[in-house]
Amino acid sequence: MSEFNNIADLDNSKFPIEPGNPIVAIWRKIHAFLTSAKLAMFLLVTILTCCVIGVTIFRDKRAWDMIFSTLWFNGLLVLLVVNVAFCFFSRIWGRKLTLVSLGMILFHLSFVAILGGIIYNSLFYFRGLIRLTEGETLPNGELQSYDSSDRGRFFNLSKLKGETTLIKMHTMYKVDGDDKRAAYEIAVGEGSLKKQGIIYITKNLDYRGFRYYNDKEGYSLLIMLYDKLGRELYGAYVPLQSLKQKDDTYLYTTGTKDGPGDFPFPQDSSKPLFTLQAAYVPTPIKELSGDAFFKVWPLVDARHEEKAIAEGKAAIGEMFDAGDYYLSVREVRYWVGMNVRYDPGLPIVLASLWVGLSGVVITFIGRILKRKK
Amino acid sequence: MKFEYIFFWIAAGLYGVSACSYIFGLISKQEKLFTFGLYSALAGFVPHLASIGRRWMETGIEPFITISESITFGIFMAVLIYLIFQFATEKVRPLGVLIMPVAFVLMGWAGTLIKDAATQIAPALQSWWIWVHIIGAATGFGSVLAAAGLGLMYLLKEKYSAGIYEKLPEPQALDNLAYRFVAGGFIMYGLMIVSGAFWSNQVKGNYWNWDPVEVWSLISWLTYGIYLHLRATFGWRGRKLAWYALIALAAMIISYWGIPFTVETFHAGFRIQH
Repeated sequence: MSEFNNIADLDNSKFPIEPGNPIVAIWRKIHAFLTSAKLAMFLLVTILTCCVIGVTIFRDKRAWDMIFSTLWFNGLLVLLVVNVAFCFFSRIWGRKLTLVSLGMILFHLSFVAILGGIIYNSLFYFRGLIRLTEGETLPNGELQSYDSSDRGRFFNLSKLKGETTLIKMHTMYKVDGDDKRAAYEIAVGEGSLKKQGIIYITKNLDYRGFRYYNDKEGYSLLIMLYDKLGRELYGAYVPLQSLKQKDDTYLYTTGTKDGPGDFPFPQDSSKPLFTLQAAYVPTPIKELSGDAFFKVWPLVDARHEEKAIAEGKAAIGEMFDAGDYYLSVREVRYWVGMNVRYDPGLPIVLASLWVGLSGVVITFIGRILKRKK
Repeated sequence: MKFEYIFFWIAAGLYGVSACSYIFGLISKQEKLFTFGLYSALAGFVPHLASIGRRWMETGIEPFITISESITFGIFMAVLIYLIFQFATEKVRPLGVLIMPVAFVLMGWAGTLIKDAATQIAPALQSWWIWVHIIGAATGFGSVLAAAGLGLMYLLKEKYSAGIYEKLPEPQALDNLAYRFVAGGFIMYGLMIVSGAFWSNQVKGNYWNWDPVEVWSLISWLTYGIYLHLRATFGWRGRKLAWYALIALAAMIISYWGIPFTVETFHAGFRIQH
């Protein structure tokens, strides 16, 4: 927004380049278009209308898909910033610096800096969701360590150094009497540069610009497989989904976020023996104790048309008869999901927000002082 | 009945008395009713403060977490700004004719939604940014409400110049006052958005996610950004901006407190599920 009242669009006769040349003529048209205050108003009203539509007619994911994530909407935002920059700075150039104009410069400059920060960030960012069971360590540099990941075109994977360990998840974690609900004690990095800390909802851990945020957590069962003689054949931690039920309780089971499901067991064997669904019912008496539920199907029966081989429950640490084998949950641990973020453009954006706001405040004060004079 | 509720309803009642005084004062052109309305508003403000303070002391949790608390705090700031302006300048006596009925209706609405204070605050809300965020939002609302009131005064002064309107400042002075309140509101809305971005970055690692609440706050900011742009660049003044301020106020009320009735949650992005 410009402070100058009733300014007509730039006077083309004062344009510094000689007219007549077609390139100059095109540039003049582009310049006139970008320095138009009417364009700024049109863009402001259009963006405002899109925002209103995005929270009334379309909502949430639909609004994201149809408006906020689209190229045309983001193009409008970029065009607004470019227009604001051209519009304002072509008018302010060469004018006397006052408190009002200083504030306006800071305000408009912050728009340009925010856009610069966003573009820079979009080229170099990294985002990943890393899931770890207590005691587990995963290498940061391997993308298989992340459930999902996304990165900017110029992000260098060698920046992902060292490893991440979940030491422990603390429930009912308190800081100065405030219940933080869940806190993750983690260690990140390599060798002597390893950084250890506790993260919770309002506190993250920063390791060389990579920030770790807590996201979600659940139970992980150490499921053991034994033969009929009781010899240990296999064991693995199996993370469970926390599925909210209609009565607001949670069902902790294998499957996907959309519902319970089974999986070939042993998991990492080339020859799994059967498919297994496991569930866990915690007891309120002691943390990480309770009962495990098993349901075992023949491997060939993918649709579960036949009756299950075995179905039943066993307390944690006890054996469950699964036909030709025994199954047991030896222990229950917590797993956690953490968002790992690397946003090198973030400081530019956040600092620019303050610069912009201080610009408006300076302009406001400047105008009051000017009026008093 | 708890003391906080008694204070709350006394405040709502006195705001109602104040609103009626202003409306009847305007209809009957009795300036004394404006004075009565002003002191009723002041009398209502005291139990309003007591109600918020009592609720806060009871649990130690910031008294602007739920919808009813948010509305109550927004009105509190609006009435505070109005009272300061009135007692400091004594320029625009009938200004309460818009402010106090809005305050009364919103208090009544908050009263229908009021619940006992929570014993615990959600972990995502345990941040100092919430203070900056809420104070920005509430003060911004108070400022634009005053600007809309001044817009109404402008329209009345323009239409009727005799009687009670004679003592009103000149239309241009009203227009300038409204502009200052809009500029102040714009700054406070800016503070609300900036602090919200920092808060979101602290909790989720991103500063903007096009969450409905974020978009509504952007709508508030853009609405008054357009007002300032129309005034500064396009030279709009007077009647057009007075109408703009009045219409924009309705948008502000919807954008703050209408959200829970149009989308599923309030600050949905801060709901944590495991």
